[in-house]
Amino acid sequence: MNRETIKHIIRGFLFLIFQVLILKRVSSGNQWLWHYADIFAYPIIILLLPIRMTRHYVIIIGFGLGLMIDMFYDMAGIHAFALTAMAYARGIILSYMEPRGGYQLTMSPTRHSMGINWLLVYTSICLIVHVFLYFTAEIFTFVYVGKILLKTLLTFVLSMMAILGYHLLFNPRK
Amino acid sequence: MNNLLLFIFRYSAFLLFVLLEIVALVLIVRYNEDQRVIFLNSSSVFSGKLYKMADKAYKYGHLQIIADSLADENAELKARLFNMERTFQHFSGTEKPLDSCILEPFRIISASVINNSINERNNHFTIDRGSRDGIENGMGVISPHGIAGIVEKTGEQYASAISVLHSAARISASIKRNNFFGPLIWKEANPEFMILEAIPRQADIRIDDTIITSGYSFIFPRGIFIGTVHRFWSEGGSNYYTIEVKLQEDISRLERVYVVDYKEADPLVK
Repeated sequence: MNRETIKHIIRGFLFLIFQVLILKRVSSGNQWLWHYADIFAYPIIILLLPIRMTRHYVIIIGFGLGLMIDMFYDMAGIHAFALTAMAYARGIILSYMEPRGGYQLTMSPTRHSMGINWLLVYTSICLIVHVFLYFTAEIFTFVYVGKILLKTLLTFVLSMMAILGYHLLFNPRK
Repeated sequence: MNNLLLFIFRYSAFLLFVLLEIVALVLIVRYNEDQRVIFLNSSSVFSGKLYKMADKAYKYGHLQIIADSLADENAELKARLFNMERTFQHFSGTEKPLDSCILEPFRIISASVINNSINERNNHFTIDRGSRDGIENGMGVISPHGIAGIVEKTGEQYASAISVLHSAARISASIKRNNFFGPLIWKEANPEFMILEAIPRQADIRIDDTIITSGYSFIFPRGIFIGTVHRFWSEGGSNYYTIEVKLQEDISRLERVYVVDYKEADPLVK
């Protein structure tokens, strides 16, 4: 375990706690918005993993993290389902967005390293996969496809704001 | 054989992904709706403790609101007490009732809500009392301004209850003015309203009529104020009215609740 690994783990736990203690409470309010939306900041843990990390590890971390979130949301498997899919999709998306000459050893998926445009595309595609699959699994039937899309859209916008807010405020290097 | 191994090796990331997705799907299908026994972790010690800590911090900001609602409740209880005293002053001291059960059929356990949801199709909440405080499965949970839910799973220190905002919750409720009764269920996304069904057409219903619990079950005692009639209609050709009831209690702000232990239920159920 080197220092980078420990930093990732601590940051991951902080995001997890932020999600279940603050964002969950905010998004279970009684305003009309929260009947149709949620805020998910925890996918950023997967998004921030090193680019060159083995895919298998990313998928396993996604599944485990999803189960932990499920535990706190009193559900079984829904977050795990969506996050595993996102972790797998991340590998594909990263390989499509590979810059000419491949990823350098020093590159990491942050604004500091890849620039804001790359970050926007990468984050939004991954996040939309996650949010859409989450609501599909939660509602579990395509009969309410309108509802799924509406919830996906609102939640996507709010989650995107949370995740980009972190990138803009803290500008992490790794 | 070699080719097969090569195939597995090459697509191992994809296979792992498919495998984990299947596991997640099995979890979703098996544990989400009804038998949420293993995964229902709100009542497990770890997340229960964490929620309780967070709840303590959160409540500091809301002490004023809680104090106000407790004071209101005290006032109401005092009013009832005075009414009760007037009723009983006709009894003389020697004329004791036969059994305390007749006068006190209910035992009330107060509890705090430490985790709550209102935005899902099936909502649950967790209270900080469990089997060691005398909570058992199937007990009703009432709140200062109405009803809150039914205990579903009891742990030692915590218990989890299905909220009235749950597709499986059916509460027997009646109209106070004329005693017509029917099941009260929750259908829509709006946590402020519930639906009272199967009220016959001859019933005389008015907007703002009071809806109370009917007492035709061993879960809730009779006469708890639930809410008022918001609007009502009958589906074409049906002989029954469907009534939309505006809940008095704001389920999203449940703080202090009371679990009802109906002492007479036990021998009858057994």
